[in-house]
Amino acid sequence: MKHIKKVAWLLLVVMFLSLLAACNTEGEEGSSGETQEVSIGYSGPLSGPAAYYGEATFTGLELAVDEINEAGGFDVDGQNYTIDLVSLDDQYLPNEAASNAQRLVEENDVSVVYTPHSGGIMAQQVLNEQEEFMIMAYSSEPAITEQGNSLTVAIPPRYDGYIAPFTEYAMENHGNKIALLPTSSQYGKDWNERLEPYWQEQGGEVVFNSSIDFNKDTDFFTILTNALENDPDVIFIGGPSQPTAKVAQQARELGFEGGFIIMDQAKLDEMKDVTGTYETFEGSVGVNPLQYSDYPGTAEFLEKYQEEFDKVPGSEAGFHYISAYILVEAMKAAGTVDDAHAIREHMQQGIEALPEDKKVYDIPGILDEGNFDVIQSMAVVENGEVVPVDID
Amino acid sequence: MDIFFQQLFNGLTIGSVYSLVALGLTLVYGILHIPNFAHGALYMMGGYITLTMMQTLGLYYWLAIFVSIVVVGLIGVLMERLVFHHLRHAPPIHDKIAAIGMLLFLEAFAHRVWGADYLEMATPHGQVVSVFGITFTLQRLIIIVAAVLVMFTLYLFLKKTYMGMTVIAMSQNRAGANLVGVNTNKVAMLTFFISGALAAIAASLSSPINLVFPGMGHLVILKAFVIIIIGGMGSIPGAIVGGYILGFTESLGATYISSDYKDIIAFILLVLILTIRPNGLFAKGGQS
Repeated sequence: MKHIKKVAWLLLVVMFLSLLAACNTEGEEGSSGETQEVSIGYSGPLSGPAAYYGEATFTGLELAVDEINEAGGFDVDGQNYTIDLVSLDDQYLPNEAASNAQRLVEENDVSVVYTPHSGGIMAQQVLNEQEEFMIMAYSSEPAITEQGNSLTVAIPPRYDGYIAPFTEYAMENHGNKIALLPTSSQYGKDWNERLEPYWQEQGGEVVFNSSIDFNKDTDFFTILTNALENDPDVIFIGGPSQPTAKVAQQARELGFEGGFIIMDQAKLDEMKDVTGTYETFEGSVGVNPLQYSDYPGTAEFLEKYQEEFDKVPGSEAGFHYISAYILVEAMKAAGTVDDAHAIREHMQQGIEALPEDKKVYDIPGILDEGNFDVIQSMAVVENGEVVPVDID
Repeated sequence: MDIFFQQLFNGLTIGSVYSLVALGLTLVYGILHIPNFAHGALYMMGGYITLTMMQTLGLYYWLAIFVSIVVVGLIGVLMERLVFHHLRHAPPIHDKIAAIGMLLFLEAFAHRVWGADYLEMATPHGQVVSVFGITFTLQRLIIIVAAVLVMFTLYLFLKKTYMGMTVIAMSQNRAGANLVGVNTNKVAMLTFFISGALAAIAASLSSPINLVFPGMGHLVILKAFVIIIIGGMGSIPGAIVGGYILGFTESLGATYISSDYKDIIAFILLVLILTIRPNGLFAKGGQS
């Protein structure tokens, strides 16, 4: 009896091991003709205070991946692939983003990791060249590509492109006294550091310079009272859309009649959802919300996204969506799904091969340092309506 | 001079919210000696329930607040029954760990049910009023008046009713109260109910000037702890005075010293007060 038990156990173990081996060979070689899975990593704030932002970025990616898989995947070098999107939560923390990337590379064998915040991107850049994975970086922070990382692709337009046109519009329409009140995050401070000198160079005057910590301040009346005491013509605000809208609303309640320069993190359409009307932001300048854009693939994307997630997508979702398609095209052009260097080198071909109906944005190419060369546009609020304006 | 009065008003608004949150925290601490880290989560639940009542059932603002008071109060009672009651003989560290656990649970719960979005609570009292050079909205005036009313009612309840007096008795001496026939279980539940109700009131009043989101409790909970340390752990007048002190320090400090350092100013104040009165402004002498 004992013997039989032992043999049965042995058999079971052998069976289990051979099963494992079978899985392994399938993962590594596989016979051509059969569909294989390629893993793509995502590390972003899926819980915690920035979960809202994390969700916005991830859903765009998810939608694209689902579409690609449902359409039967894609072919690289005669081999058919579907995408397995592996997401890990980093709660907006740089160190977590770095260890997530490490985990994704080791456990899921990914060659591409999406990360939607500059802190996490920079933490990953310490190891990405060594570990050979490419970062699909969603951050408009110029520093992430200025350091010359060879495996980083920056998806959205750099924010420094907005500073001149925003300044010009605000000065022309309102006056040259500005109060600076962005969010106190690193991103807000970086924006401030570029806007402040530029504003002064153009002959403007900074009458108040502070910041708002949206994780600590319950009410903005105090800081706004102090800012308005200096009689500014323009207020620079920014941060997540909804609390930023509250800042604008309270400034109006306190009698501010000038315009706002709105940092690119906040989106006018999401801000309107809080105040109920664009009139609060009359005379303001900010980035153009995706829903007012008019690129070949925008309308279709808006419709699909709303059907799937029951809300209007922002640019985060749009850029993630388009970038996934570009990535797939780049993999096709490179003839590989796991050589990060080759994929990065074929990004330009990937962009060129992008189907017309996926063009949620107009991206003619990729710059040498790794930024998508997005055609930028901005929007101003005039007579209670959003008016898109081209930036040349 | 205008700006001084405007900031005084701003400080009063924010101080009222702080006081209400701190009151709930200090009540529970005074009676059960539990630093309820989950109090911020109760505050958050208060905001969400009021909002849900307004949006899905179409209740009027004040009616929604009433429902929220009852529901969050009951969540408080549930917390006491399911968790803290069972830990009454455990070492104090267990209470703290349990409180943090509940904080995480409630936040994840809100995230699951209502999503991560920032939600807007529309107030029927959004009118802007300008008097003597001070600008405010009706909602802010309501916050200030309602806070005073709530504090006054709480005072009457604790001093003039039998139930209220049992709460005081238990905070003075738990064993003694038990000896003279106070049902300590009932009092513990009652205290948690009041604590939850105060959190719900504070959240419902202040949500229209901010937003409702899963992390909203963090905005106030750290400050509420500072306040009850300033005022004396477990002291009711301490929580009220401490709340207003912090509100004024923030608004006036931001105006006359520096808005970038307003948090530091509040903490310097904390250090100063603790240097002079190590147990807080209104610490009870003798026992506790």
